[in-house]
Amino acid sequence: MTELRPSLSELFWGMLQVALSAFGGGLSAWSQRIVVEQRRWMTNEQFLTGLTVARLFPGPNQINMAVYIGAEFHGLSGALVALAGMLLLPFSLLMGLGLAYFHFHTIPSVDRVLAGVVAAAAGMALSMGFKILDQYWNDRVALLLAAVVFLALSLFDQRLIPVVLIAGPLAMAWYWPRRRANP
Amino acid sequence: MSGLLAAAAACEPAHLSDLGTLLQVLWQFLSLSLFSLGGGNTLLAEYHHLAVAQFCWLTNTQFADLYALAEAAPGPSSMLVGLLGLGAGWREGPFWALLSAYGAEAAILLPSTLLMVTACLSWKRLEHSPWRVAFERGLGPITLGILFAVGLKILRTADTNFAGLLVSVLVCVLMLRTRISPLWFMAVAGVLGGLGVINR
Repeated sequence: MTELRPSLSELFWGMLQVALSAFGGGLSAWSQRIVVEQRRWMTNEQFLTGLTVARLFPGPNQINMAVYIGAEFHGLSGALVALAGMLLLPFSLLMGLGLAYFHFHTIPSVDRVLAGVVAAAAGMALSMGFKILDQYWNDRVALLLAAVVFLALSLFDQRLIPVVLIAGPLAMAWYWPRRRANP
Repeated sequence: MSGLLAAAAACEPAHLSDLGTLLQVLWQFLSLSLFSLGGGNTLLAEYHHLAVAQFCWLTNTQFADLYALAEAAPGPSSMLVGLLGLGAGWREGPFWALLSAYGAEAAILLPSTLLMVTACLSWKRLEHSPWRVAFERGLGPITLGILFAVGLKILRTADTNFAGLLVSVLVCVLMLRTRISPLWFMAVAGVLGGLGVINR
């Protein structure tokens, strides 16, 4: 399989295709299908490396993935073009929806329906922590760290930035690899 | 500040010039960008603090509504930031609302994007560095703690009746145990809301 190097405009349209295909979720599966299988810009290994980097660094995963794909071919300008392709249309649609919301949300029937949707969305938010709890279940230090961070934020109402700036370096020191990593 | 309950009462709507609001929005989101660990949802409680408690751009109810809207709409759910920007500029009219919406989204994405580009270009060196290993393993448990705090915060913000709370818990369990699309949960819960079973 030969990889084809996309131009900036191909990047834009490719990412737009990913964004449109992923209506209703499954964004990373679609971007794999389109970027690796259909358009053959990358090998599967390259794509998976991208996912690793995207999950590791700050920022939304799917957005970071677009940045990775763009940067791989055209550096910073590629990253920005890929981002624009992935975001511009869905974001503009959402802003239309948002303007409609601010116009109409005081109508009682709209507010009633939203109250229901909000209850479901709160359940989704609640599930996020439980979703990754399993992988830390056997690590007491990790659970302790998580509990301290949780209490600092929820019970003592501390802000996120100072909490991360204090807990982050401590956790990194604890998890610093003891044996030398193979180069 | 012991602000969970007092926050809404302590808040005075900010009287700012149009440009002042915009710059404030931009700065707040720029400075949060690099702290969006674990895929971005870790910032939800901070967004709530900014928009509801600190600057009074939105009410508690509006924040909960916009969060649900961003989850329901197609595209990355991080686009919530745009909706918050929209709410921040709304008092000054649709033009400023949209300007601050696009500005907010650009501001939250720019620093993390620049870092990501740097990371991509130097990944070969970073991949086996002890810094990378320590960062990955150390920040994981912190992300775990933050996500639980965020879940609780959103649940408090939703502030529905008992039926609503029951639906939230049920959705949480179903999210973990099944692979049903969350759109169905929101649709069914929306109907329950329309019928008046869930209210706030």
